[in-house]
Amino acid sequence: ADVELRLSHWVPPTHPIQTLGIEPWVESIKQASNGRINITIFPAQQLGAAPDHYDMARDGIADITYTNPGYQAGRFPIYSLAEIPFHASNGKQAAKALHNWYAPLAEIEMSDVKFCLINPHDPGTLHSKTQVKVPSDISGMNVRPAHATMARFVNLLGGASVQVPAPEAREALAKGTADAITFPWNSIYIFGIDSETKFHLDMPFYISSQMLLLNKGMYDGLAPEDRQVIDDHCTPDWSQKFSTGWADNEYSGRQKMIDSPDHTVYTPTDDEIGQWREASKPLIEAWKEDVKAKGQDPEKIYADYVSALKELDSLF
Amino acid sequence: MFRLIRTLGAFSTAIDRIAGVFLAAITLLVVASAIGRYVFTAPIPDAFDISRLMLGVAIMWGFASVGYRGSHIKVDLFAEMMPARIRRIVDLFAWTILFVFTVLMSWKILARVMSAQASGEATFDLRMPAWPFLALIWAGVTVAIVTVLARILIIATGRGTLDHFDAPDVATTSKDDDV
Amino acid sequence: MSKADLVAVSGFVLLFAMMAVRVPIGIAMGLIGVGGFAAITGPGPALNLLAQSPIRVITDFNLSLIPFFVLMGVFATNSGMSRELFRAGQAWLGFLRGGMALSTIAACGGFAAICGSSVATAATMTKIALPEMQRVGYRNDVSSGVIAAGGTLGILIPPSVVLAVYAYITEQDVGKLFIAGVLPGLLAVLMYMGAVRIAYRRSLPAGQPFEAREAISSLRDVWAVLVLFVAIIGSMYFGVVTATEAAAVGSLLTALIGIFRGRLGYANIMESLIEALRTSVAIYTILIGAVLFGYFLAITQTPQKITAFLVALDLGAYGTLGLILAFFLLMGCILDAMAMIILLVPIVFPVVTQLGFDPIWFGVIIVMTVELGLITPPVGMNVFVINTIARDVNLFTIFRGVLPFVVTDVIRLILLIIFPAIVLFLPMTMN
Ligand code: NA
Ligand code: NA
Repeated sequence: ADVELRLSHWVPPTHPIQTLGIEPWVESIKQASNGRINITIFPAQQLGAAPDHYDMARDGIADITYTNPGYQAGRFPIYSLAEIPFHASNGKQAAKALHNWYAPLAEIEMSDVKFCLINPHDPGTLHSKTQVKVPSDISGMNVRPAHATMARFVNLLGGASVQVPAPEAREALAKGTADAITFPWNSIYIFGIDSETKFHLDMPFYISSQMLLLNKGMYDGLAPEDRQVIDDHCTPDWSQKFSTGWADNEYSGRQKMIDSPDHTVYTPTDDEIGQWREASKPLIEAWKEDVKAKGQDPEKIYADYVSALKELDSLF
Repeated sequence: MFRLIRTLGAFSTAIDRIAGVFLAAITLLVVASAIGRYVFTAPIPDAFDISRLMLGVAIMWGFASVGYRGSHIKVDLFAEMMPARIRRIVDLFAWTILFVFTVLMSWKILARVMSAQASGEATFDLRMPAWPFLALIWAGVTVAIVTVLARILIIATGRGTLDHFDAPDVATTSKDDDV
Repeated sequence: MSKADLVAVSGFVLLFAMMAVRVPIGIAMGLIGVGGFAAITGPGPALNLLAQSPIRVITDFNLSLIPFFVLMGVFATNSGMSRELFRAGQAWLGFLRGGMALSTIAACGGFAAICGSSVATAATMTKIALPEMQRVGYRNDVSSGVIAAGGTLGILIPPSVVLAVYAYITEQDVGKLFIAGVLPGLLAVLMYMGAVRIAYRRSLPAGQPFEAREAISSLRDVWAVLVLFVAIIGSMYFGVVTATEAAAVGSLLTALIGIFRGRLGYANIMESLIEALRTSVAIYTILIGAVLFGYFLAITQTPQKITAFLVALDLGAYGTLGLILAFFLLMGCILDAMAMIILLVPIVFPVVTQLGFDPIWFGVIIVMTVELGLITPPVGMNVFVINTIARDVNLFTIFRGVLPFVVTDVIRLILLIIFPAIVLFLPMTMN
């Protein structure tokens, strides 16, 4: 190949993100470039720690990185809107919607890298050792949150957030360090947590939204025909395509739990959903403050976000 | 010259104490946070981030101290077979390499601190800015530039070597500040 | 040979060259890591590794159990817990022929249960047991050999700083690894005792008469060690707290017990903190280097290539394992235990797991292998420490005295390879 690129991510090579998202994308680029562009995948933090992946793309440690902006609390205030619960209703359409919404904003907030794709997981929910139906049930609970925004939410509800890496989440629950976890459905099975949490809230609670970022120097240095290939692979449609396999995989966990006699999957009533939404209002207010502090217009950005989701039928 | 080296020795001891107090504080914080969580189901907010960031500060300040004392883990076998004069050259070379590494690290970590300050990186629970902690870490590395240079000076003037026997995985008793 | 291979090979050559001239091991690894990365990506990105990695390592919460366990060992040493263990050992085993050597081994095992370091265990026992053994007429090779070998229990019997680092590098559960070290540790104590009796039976001095009152009263003082061990390892076994919390609680408890007994004052505590910090810094420096070196290995895909190479040799699982252990023994000639684990485990671990060996079991096996390096020439850390503290006992004497224990170590290693259950039985009963 004429162009050798390094792609770095932080999940194991067997994870659906790699097998169903990254690998097909890499293969498609190879095909489209007639073999000129070859991308080597470095999984499992081989080239750097998970929270450093944004800087790694910026600094050229890898040419392409799979980044979770939420791993660095406070750094990407605009994008953290995606982390506020009760907005996206599914992972696939939402991927495209998020892409449409964020692509222009990335120019402002992530100006030192080249934004490529968005990859949320299918909406995750709350899995607990004792039943949770309404926000007040969280009070006094230790919860392992997905990201800093969920940690804020848990604190807001009178619970405490417990920070442990995903692979240690099972142990934390088994040991009683945590009483509940926010996780996508099938990940509960993937990480063996199904033996610990028996109660699940059946609502699209939150998403955690990763992205694929490119090093600018690398991108600018590509020959025009190669750059075209990359551009063709950094589209809203590709965000959806990239996200589909993993989203389906996560969603399948939900049915598995409904079918299992060991698990109680509780569907909240409209009134209860209303309580959850109400409880999350302060998060939106706090987000608006953060964005305003960065000199941006939060009202417009929020309205754009909601309409982008609505347009693709993915608003909860 | 002798007085300068003495001063540096005292300086290194002061660094040790600051870093030691940090270690004590971190230990207490982790214990308090564990008690808060298990006994009162009320963990201390940000105990996780604060303790790990403070540990980073303690380690980097300790790095400065160890750079002065010469007690990094190294292979002494071959150096000890060499005649004293050559050994001094070897020691000078070894600590010059450490010096280069420390300078590079200080330069790069400064960039990291500025990036954290500009981007508003914060702690998980309380959203305290992360950069002041990173700045303290950077200060530790930067002090290490001075302390490593001090050891190089000591070796060059023949007042000391890297021959300490500081065991790697511990605490022998040696209070062998040779200057 | 591809460019990546060439860079990898030159990297290793330069690494060993730098280490040979006393460049700190971690710094040599770090520089080669950055330099090798630069050879592939250019200097800009490579230098930027220095902006991220060192900070990630020193602020990694999961690594903080290392300074905590080191601190606990230092507090235990400085508050005289080894002396009590030795006294209790003497009271119960002292009546046997060679009883004092047996007590020393028992005390080493006991001290290992609260101290995570071999060198620390050897150092403190040298100060306490060596003069006593010399006084009652033990030959120097016997007494120092017993201490050098007994000291190695420090990293096998939990808590163990080396096992903790292994857990970090290979992403294994540190609690399980600690528990896995318990039975092999007890086996080691028994085998060392057997070795003393068999190898030195003719030269051992007679014991002293057994005194029931002394035996009972000696137990009054060792409660602290027992409480600490049970509190820490017990709470990890039953999953009450995380390993890091156990370590922090352990170091605080040890300090409190020392203060309560009037053996730790302000000055002692300050000294202990500083000592623990320096020791930890030395370990962290290698870890920083190892992480940087790891990126260089990753980008040149060296572990994959070594794995492919070793698997292609087709020596069978045990043949390859034998080769790896032999390699570790060889490296033990120049490197110290911690450096070996940090430098070499990431390279061989993929092979080991691919061959189907249990990672927890391998952790214990590899720790026992590097333990051997602590007592074999030319670089044997425990031997050096004894020699540094007891200037009248020369290196050759200690190396000679340690020989029977080297033999039992090898036998024990073979036993655990044949019967992995000795290692895995306890961790399998967890959860
Ligand atoms: Na131990
Ligand atoms: Na050796």
